[in-house]
Amino acid sequence: MDMFSNLALGFGVALSFQNLALCFVGCLVGTLIGVLPGVGPIATISILLPITFGLDPTGALIMLAGIYYGAQYGGSTTAILVNIPGEATAVVTTLDGHQMAKQGRAGIALGTAAIGSFVAGCFATVVIAALGAPLTKMALLFGPAEYFSLMVMGLCFAVVLARGSILKAFCMIMLGLLLSTVGTDLETGQERLTFGIPALADGIDFSVLAMGIFGFAEVLRNLEAPEARDVVRAKIGRLLPGWSDIKQSVMPCLRGTFIGGTLGILPGNGAVLGPFASYTVEKKIAKDPSRFGKGAIEGVAGPESANNAGAQTAFIPLLTLGIPPNAVMALMVGAMTIHGIIPGPQVMTRNPELFWGMIASMWIGNLMLLIINLPLVGLWVKLLQVPYRLMFPAILIFCCIGIYSVNNQPLDVAFTAMFGLFGYLLIKLGFEPAPLLLGFVLGKLMEEKLRQALIISRGSFVTFLERPISAGLLLVAVAVLVIALLPSMSKKRDEVFTE
Amino acid sequence: MSLNKIERSQGLRIRSTQDLGAGVFMIVLAGLALVLARDLPLGSLRQIGPGMLPTSFAVFCGILGLFLVITSLRFDGEQLSGWSWRGVIFVLGAAIVFGLTIRGFSIGPISVPSLGLLVSGPLVMLISGLAADDMKWKELIIFSVAMSTACILLFKYALSLPIPLAPWLLGI
Repeated sequence: MDMFSNLALGFGVALSFQNLALCFVGCLVGTLIGVLPGVGPIATISILLPITFGLDPTGALIMLAGIYYGAQYGGSTTAILVNIPGEATAVVTTLDGHQMAKQGRAGIALGTAAIGSFVAGCFATVVIAALGAPLTKMALLFGPAEYFSLMVMGLCFAVVLARGSILKAFCMIMLGLLLSTVGTDLETGQERLTFGIPALADGIDFSVLAMGIFGFAEVLRNLEAPEARDVVRAKIGRLLPGWSDIKQSVMPCLRGTFIGGTLGILPGNGAVLGPFASYTVEKKIAKDPSRFGKGAIEGVAGPESANNAGAQTAFIPLLTLGIPPNAVMALMVGAMTIHGIIPGPQVMTRNPELFWGMIASMWIGNLMLLIINLPLVGLWVKLLQVPYRLMFPAILIFCCIGIYSVNNQPLDVAFTAMFGLFGYLLIKLGFEPAPLLLGFVLGKLMEEKLRQALIISRGSFVTFLERPISAGLLLVAVAVLVIALLPSMSKKRDEVFTE
Repeated sequence: MSLNKIERSQGLRIRSTQDLGAGVFMIVLAGLALVLARDLPLGSLRQIGPGMLPTSFAVFCGILGLFLVITSLRFDGEQLSGWSWRGVIFVLGAAIVFGLTIRGFSIGPISVPSLGLLVSGPLVMLISGLAADDMKWKELIIFSVAMSTACILLFKYALSLPIPLAPWLLGI
């Protein structure tokens, strides 16, 4: 019954006026950027990160979380109406969702997506609440060696699940790790790789890096490749699915929730796989697979549920182990650290109101999304017609004000511009920069744990293999890499990510 | 696989300038990091020194870069595409102008007073707006003014961030 008293505490926190308002703002902003092609949750959260400084940590994280799962919702709206996945995870929804829209069933597709997401969100919230306590207990048993191996495993998953070439994803992780070593060494106080610039003595500022690479560089990328928008001109039609639609989508929705939720827990951005896996499963077990791709409602209900469930269970590694599974969660780590909270198992005992408040807010947020999204669809469609030539100056001014406000340091804006150039160079060279951020955030933690583990073991690397949990994690890491590098698998992987 | 073999028999040549560039980029960065970290003590495994991780990460980066170079010589891939300097100059330039003017600066004989958000805001949007191919002056000016006003209301008043508004005019 502990879970219920904890959840009650959480709802108490989440239902305060301020937190409700923040949750609402987060969901609204999230939906907005999910709908607008060319602005993703990574960019938005990095832009809004500095603005949350004035808030208390719980409120700030509630809002940032709202942006994240709100964006998953919004992403499906563009996928259905415009055939552009607002987010990477909505790619599959374009297949059947847009077909439904073309057949004049856009409203039903949107409704199914929203309701499916809501159901998935509810389940995921319960899963997080139920798994939170036991996983945290387990995490307390983890020594530095286990943590190090866990992070290695997470990074291996991130490499395998990244979009594009595995080799290049590997490069990005390593580069992120390398960048994380810039600054003063914590143990000896020696400056490392700083070029003697005093501003770098504290290391590269997280928000400067994130905003440069995901704010500025994304703008540059989008300016170069204007997206063709093929907005459905047909009527959206009624939103609530009829009885037969519901009957058809209940099981896909539940299966999707299960698949997405399970994959989402995986370190290294398993959530991305959820919609793909769900779609494949639905297509396999369907009586008539040929309907898929031509507007099958199961092809919307399943992946959309998987998508949302995964987005939420991705919080589990972050909240219980303190290890971010993907770039967005890496930003959450940044947000927590800025507010003086060290992510990890101790969060639950030391800041129970933050932990449970955030979980409760996710459920409330899902309800809000259902309520805001459906009636406001018309508005979102209108927003799609805002041309990019107006959108990016607005993004830019937000970035500038945000980055200035981090330290009230005008120089930071120039630094961010430099990282923008760096990010643009990465994009030009065919690198996908998301894993870099993950490596950057995990780098410092990894170094600390590695040092501790080696001090305990008196300098013997065998410690990572002697301890059973650590050895198991490393084994999984190696297995994942080997499987992904097998020629037959790498071909399949390409198919999944190019579909 | 057979296709790859045929290609391989045709000898090594640059098949993907993008991958080649990426590899060289990684190697250059790794080299830079190695040079910068050369004086840092590596320490021993028992007591890792400050130079150990930067050096090993740099070595890994270099090796990965080498792999990329080899890949680019053996397998076909994307080619490098040209830079759009227009975007780089106006977008990043706008950000730098913001950094320089928000609180003012003085380098040698040049000095700019602190212009504050009231001026820097529209300035950023106007300069960056020039990066779009389909820019329209009237629309951009109206939007810049409206957006800056909204930002001032949001950041200065609603969120009360300590950002200068217009010290030269209002004293805040």
